Amino acid sequence: MMPRRRARKWLRLGRRIASHAVLIVAVVFALFPVYFIVITSFSKIPIAAITAQVLVPKVSQLTLGSYQQALSGQYPAFTSLLENSLIFAGSAAAIGMGLAAFTGFALSKFNFPGRRSLVYFILIISLFPSFLLIIPYYFMFAKLGLIDTYPGLIIPYSAGAVVFAGILVKNYMDSIPDDIEEAALMDGLSRTGAFFRVLLPLCYPVLGLAAFLAFVGPYTDYALAHVFITSSAKETLALNLYNIATTDTGASNYGVVTAFAIVMSLPIVVFYMAFQRYIIGGLTLGAVRG
Amino acid sequence: MADLRDHSVGFRFRREWPAYIYLIPTVVVLLFLNAYPIAYTIYISMTDFGTGGRGSLLNYHYIGLTNYYTAFHSGLPTTLTLLENSLFWAGGSVVLFLAVGLGLATVLNQEIRGRAVYRTLILLPWAMPAFITILVWSNMWQYDYGIINEVLATVGIKPVAWLVHADTAWTALFVTNLWLSFPFYTVVFLATMQAIPKDLYEAASIDGAGSFSRFRRITLPYLAPTIIFVGLMGFLFTFNNFYPIYLITSGGPGISTQIFITESYNKAFGSVGASPQLSTAALYSVLDFVIIVAITVVVIWRTDLTRNWLK
Repeated sequence: MMPRRRARKWLRLGRRIASHAVLIVAVVFALFPVYFIVITSFSKIPIAAITAQVLVPKVSQLTLGSYQQALSGQYPAFTSLLENSLIFAGSAAAIGMGLAAFTGFALSKFNFPGRRSLVYFILIISLFPSFLLIIPYYFMFAKLGLIDTYPGLIIPYSAGAVVFAGILVKNYMDSIPDDIEEAALMDGLSRTGAFFRVLLPLCYPVLGLAAFLAFVGPYTDYALAHVFITSSAKETLALNLYNIATTDTGASNYGVVTAFAIVMSLPIVVFYMAFQRYIIGGLTLGAVRG
Repeated sequence: MADLRDHSVGFRFRREWPAYIYLIPTVVVLLFLNAYPIAYTIYISMTDFGTGGRGSLLNYHYIGLTNYYTAFHSGLPTTLTLLENSLFWAGGSVVLFLAVGLGLATVLNQEIRGRAVYRTLILLPWAMPAFITILVWSNMWQYDYGIINEVLATVGIKPVAWLVHADTAWTALFVTNLWLSFPFYTVVFLATMQAIPKDLYEAASIDGAGSFSRFRRITLPYLAPTIIFVGLMGFLFTFNNFYPIYLITSGGPGISTQIFITESYNKAFGSVGASPQLSTAALYSVLDFVIIVAITVVVIWRTDLTRNWLK
């Protein structure tokens, strides 16, 4: 009996070591680029002189200079970039979320003639790659004189949000039992009243998720903004990051690029990590148990 | 609300008409900002809009299926390369995502010390905006100052010109894409695995099933719907995932890593000075859309995803 039990013990130990080894490799892979960005943003070494030594910096080589440079003295000013990004992404989030609430309610809680066809239509439409809508949009919006205007970007951003956020809210509302709405109707509320007073408050979490996702899209959009924004007064954070990362100044002063990238992504990272379980549940449309 | 399936259309309309009012803004968006632009794209693909010859930006003509004829005859090598690359990019990525995601989830699903810490650290790449991290990765792959070559140099590996050869360019793309996506797949599979009732495993152990056969007979069947669902979603997303290819390889070398969506964007808005080839761009958009819809319809029809999706 003894040798067998001991063998099993060793097997278990080996398995535990192997598991930790696999997970450590995964964590190193996951964190390496993040570490590289952070360390570069605090480093004095220009990119052209980078060696692997940059990864183990001496304290004397650390500086906040890149952050200072990223936040000031650039053209266009950081505040102007931030303001534009917030206007575009904020409007898209607000409009997209508002329309998605009504869409989700109508598609989930009503059984009107044509409901099924509309759901199929939305799902097929949502398969058309949003990047390729930029081509027809460009000519439609040029005719309307909307290129390089605020509405010219807010409209396509909001339209993109309505489609996926509508599906998201519909799926969430499907999981709310009809009894809740029926009880509200018994208490004398109209269907609209029941929607605003009872169903909508239950949907705040999914609406928050929809608004967040509708915000992140435009906030990090380059493809549409690159085509639609022609004046530097309307330049966004994402456009500016692309410009400084791909020009020669970017290559020679990579600290500024990484500092800018960190400042730009920090609020998003914090939000994702804080609400991760919720966001993953929402993104998989409830197809994932647990 | 109450099940009205058995009632007549007229009855349902009288009871359910407020839905139409709620849907007005969305239907306007769907018609004017989705359906019309898609139809317009199909129309442009049948014109000589910017194909040289008679067509110019202001003056173009309907030429029927001529562009499609060209794309499948003289232009066939390019079309096939784009098709092959798009399928390879999406299919290869999904295989990687599923393999790594399932593997790591299985390891994390044991009672192992520091599980929550591992999970949180692995999830970090997913929380960072992809556009930003892809820009950083594109810099990391550079030949002369990229950090990847510098790290390889410390273990004596000569610098690799990642983006100059087709196979290393694909490697760079797949590694970057895996980094972007494996956290999400790992966590999704882990959540599904944790919902499997524990007593199933206990019963199987008593019956003498080893860990491999428990995985094959219990875990895998339980995960199947999730695998199919996130696999399809991942395929559709990657097929049209623009930024990795646009920012890291720009489709190069040549067009050896170019896919429909990036080639379409380049043809339309590509290089300053070069005249845009709008009809070709539109044609690639249409092909992209047709392939995506076909794959989705087949997967939904061959599996019972419909229940989750189209209630």
